[in-house]
Amino acid sequence: MIALLTIIFSFIGALICGLMPACAHRRIRWVALLTAGLGLAAAFCCALRYTGPGMEDVISRTWIPSMGVGFLTGFDGISLPLLLVTGLVAVAGVLFTWKLDHRANQFYAFYFALIGGVYGVFLSMDLFLLFVFYEIAIVPKYFLIAIWGGAKREYAAMKLVMYSFGGSALVLIGMLALFFASGLNTFDLRALMTVDFSSGLQSVVFPVMFVGFAILAGMWPFHTWAPQGHSAAPTAASMLLAGVVMKLGAYGCLRVAVGLMPEGAMVWAPWVAVFAVINIIYGALAALRQDDFKYVIGYSSVSHMGFVLLGIGTLHLTGMTGAVLQMFSHGVIGALLFAMVGTVIYTRTKTRKLDELHRLMERMPGIAWVFIVVALASMGLPGFSGFVSELYVLLGAWATLPTWIVISAGVGVLATFGYTLAKIHEAFFRERSTGDNTSDGNDGEGDADYPPMTLPEKAGVALLLGASLLIGLCPWLLTNHIAGSLQLLLNRFN
Amino acid sequence: MDYTAIFTALLPDLFVVVALFAALGVDYGCLRGASLADRAAAAARIGGVGLVGALVALAFQLTGSLAVDGHALEVATHGQLVLNAGTLALKALLFLLGLLVLPLAARTISTPQVSEYFALLLLATLGMGFMVTSRNLLGAFVALELVSLSLYALTALNPARKKSAEAALKYFTYGGVASAFLLFGISYLFGALGQLDITQATLAEAPRLVVVAYLFILVGLGFKLALAPFHLWAPDVYQAAPTPAAAWIASGSKIAGVALLLALLGPVSLPSAHSAIVPLLLLMAVASMAVGNLGALRQANVKRLLAYSAIANAGYILVAVVAFTDAGRAAALFYAIVYAIATLGAFAVVSVWNDRLGREALIEDFRGVWKTSPGLSLALLVFVLSLAGIPPLAGFVGKFYLFFAAIHAAPQMEYWSDGLYWLVAVALLFSVVALYYYLKILKAVFVREENGELDSSPVGLPAATAILVLALLTVALGVWPEPVVDYIQSYLF
Repeated sequence: MIALLTIIFSFIGALICGLMPACAHRRIRWVALLTAGLGLAAAFCCALRYTGPGMEDVISRTWIPSMGVGFLTGFDGISLPLLLVTGLVAVAGVLFTWKLDHRANQFYAFYFALIGGVYGVFLSMDLFLLFVFYEIAIVPKYFLIAIWGGAKREYAAMKLVMYSFGGSALVLIGMLALFFASGLNTFDLRALMTVDFSSGLQSVVFPVMFVGFAILAGMWPFHTWAPQGHSAAPTAASMLLAGVVMKLGAYGCLRVAVGLMPEGAMVWAPWVAVFAVINIIYGALAALRQDDFKYVIGYSSVSHMGFVLLGIGTLHLTGMTGAVLQMFSHGVIGALLFAMVGTVIYTRTKTRKLDELHRLMERMPGIAWVFIVVALASMGLPGFSGFVSELYVLLGAWATLPTWIVISAGVGVLATFGYTLAKIHEAFFRERSTGDNTSDGNDGEGDADYPPMTLPEKAGVALLLGASLLIGLCPWLLTNHIAGSLQLLLNRFN
Repeated sequence: MDYTAIFTALLPDLFVVVALFAALGVDYGCLRGASLADRAAAAARIGGVGLVGALVALAFQLTGSLAVDGHALEVATHGQLVLNAGTLALKALLFLLGLLVLPLAARTISTPQVSEYFALLLLATLGMGFMVTSRNLLGAFVALELVSLSLYALTALNPARKKSAEAALKYFTYGGVASAFLLFGISYLFGALGQLDITQATLAEAPRLVVVAYLFILVGLGFKLALAPFHLWAPDVYQAAPTPAAAWIASGSKIAGVALLLALLGPVSLPSAHSAIVPLLLLMAVASMAVGNLGALRQANVKRLLAYSAIANAGYILVAVVAFTDAGRAAALFYAIVYAIATLGAFAVVSVWNDRLGREALIEDFRGVWKTSPGLSLALLVFVLSLAGIPPLAGFVGKFYLFFAAIHAAPQMEYWSDGLYWLVAVALLFSVVALYYYLKILKAVFVREENGELDSSPVGLPAATAILVLALLTVALGVWPEPVVDYIQSYLF
């Protein structure tokens, strides 16, 4: 029941925020913080009580028996890190949007509707229920981006929704095919996992479902919604998009596509790995070419999600553990990067163009150092969670995948170093290269120091960076549970 | 068969007929010279009382307090009156929806023929009641004509628009031809079956005569249900008709039409018989989804957009109809119901908005509505997202049930064209397209901030209640559809 509280709190919070008057934005943000905090607390309780490796906290109710649908929730070691990351990002998202006053009631109504949907996906043990929550999460994203977003927001929001909805259409077809092929008249994932679907069916349905979910995970060539959507979104929404929504897709790939169709997975795993490597390298190279700071982070998300897909493609315990850990890791760090760029730096400099940033290292030293640490954590600095997860993924890849794929992934890692360092240089250490202000140095506001981080911003950074550091230093806190549950899933592969 | 039995069976309809004449009489007699608004309020009240009385009588019939010997009646009337738990409930639903249309009509009345307007609405409702309770070729046809003629006349009753009469004429001409096709098909079907009563009729196989009969029947009903390629009247009629009348064409007549289609297809439930007419149904399904969804993309007028969405949704319904299983029939009817509720709600909001603008609303006219009318905006959000098939609203469960039933009929998939997987895939593809134009409406309502003159004159309690009821139904049927699905499965098919 505690796990279910995450969903309940979020939807109740959405309702309360939506019903409050818009002018009360100071009170609304406290309600929002409380809601997100309660969700995180519930997720944290789940983590403390979890013993593993099977499903726990299972709640089972009949819902639409005439279509074999039950209301079935529970969580295991695979969903647990994702519940935690959702809670962390939800709290941090509120902290980094602390100053929001424009239609705040509606903002948090959509925000928590989205978060409730995300928790729902991670907790659903019934395929239909999972799909319902997956779709509930779509519409709030549209409004969050289209109403509160930046440049080209309506286009980006529509594109994101079209891609998500298109993906879910593929998932629905696969869902129905599996339901009827099983002959069990249930969407219960635990029951469906015991069925040996015919290999012909698996090799047809697996790519349909995998691609359907992977669109939301930002798989190349369906990734283009991601950088645009992330960049156009307001900070809290881009944190959620990068931090948890992309994980919905990856989670679906892992739990549903791979979990239900082992034979299909084995047939298609090399292709998954190839696309994953394209993701890693393409995302990194594209990030290198970007001029808009948010696009850099957007493409780096695409690149990091490549590691998640690569880990799934290994079909190896170590690699897949790395994939789940990478979901957690990129969830906190990706969200933090968006927060740093979208709120902390943007509200001070009023620009996201790297060309226009001017000697930030001197003008906002504290923020610059924090950003550099976060960026290095994202790059895979030892001590942070990203290092552990990428290492696990690469070890898994060594074990099962062809050497050239591993080498290509290694090249991707190098490219990640490349763009991270290059962009840090461009943003913080370089004199402004364009603009008329470079010539006349007596422009007063051009050189003024920026105010330091506010308290909510510091709290948000501490929360997310602390989580990444904790898991980076003590990865066993999560990996034991992840590996235990994954082992159950992988038992069917032999 | 004595007259008391027929009297008790038709008591609900009697209430409606009495109310109909009372509305006309009061308007002609006592309210001469009264203002339009007063006359409309009086007529709507009388009509409402009649429909409430009818609903109470139906409730008594359903619970058994008012005993109706359905079987004896069925035999005695040769299937013209099939009153069982299923058909009575469907009739009650139509009367309920009709009751919800009345306050909208009273709100936006602009024609001097006030009582005729309400009388025609009641007459159409009455006809729909008969359409869903008749399993007799001729009885059903007469009921359908009662509905159609009322709706033609209603379409013309919009003096604010010159196009209204033109659209009514177009509707009438198309509808008349469609009726002729339908009647011709029915006559052939009668020839093949040797009887008008289709309650028990089955065809083991389809000789050419039956194929021709169904060809004509499907063309005729295709017109009535606005299925492509027989949809051409729909956008003009929806746009030009008074908005409550358009709402009633889109909702009530859709439920009744689908029920009639399912009843007429009843005799061909065996695989050997239906294979001959399946290609035609498939063609109409795919064409409707394509024409409706692609056509809706370019519409600026909200009512026209809803007309194209109606065409598309009729296509979705056929996806389950071609399955030719009980689950398919139940799914088609369930979807028709949830679609009708959502579309009626959307029309209701549009009707209020047209009234405030004093003209037909374009999508652009909804800019920034969230600021002045948050309640209406929220209701429109629910209705439009239900039409788009987003959970947890009724439209999602409805669509899922359609696809579920379609695949359930032939779940084996060895080759891509096996079963109805490809049809479901087409339907899903088009529902992605559909989300685009539905979001276009919601974008105007919620995203845009600017709008010069925003009128927020009160909606009025009756109309607001109607919209609230429809919105609650849309949410309730989405969150907990099982009772209704179960009811349809147990009592209707």
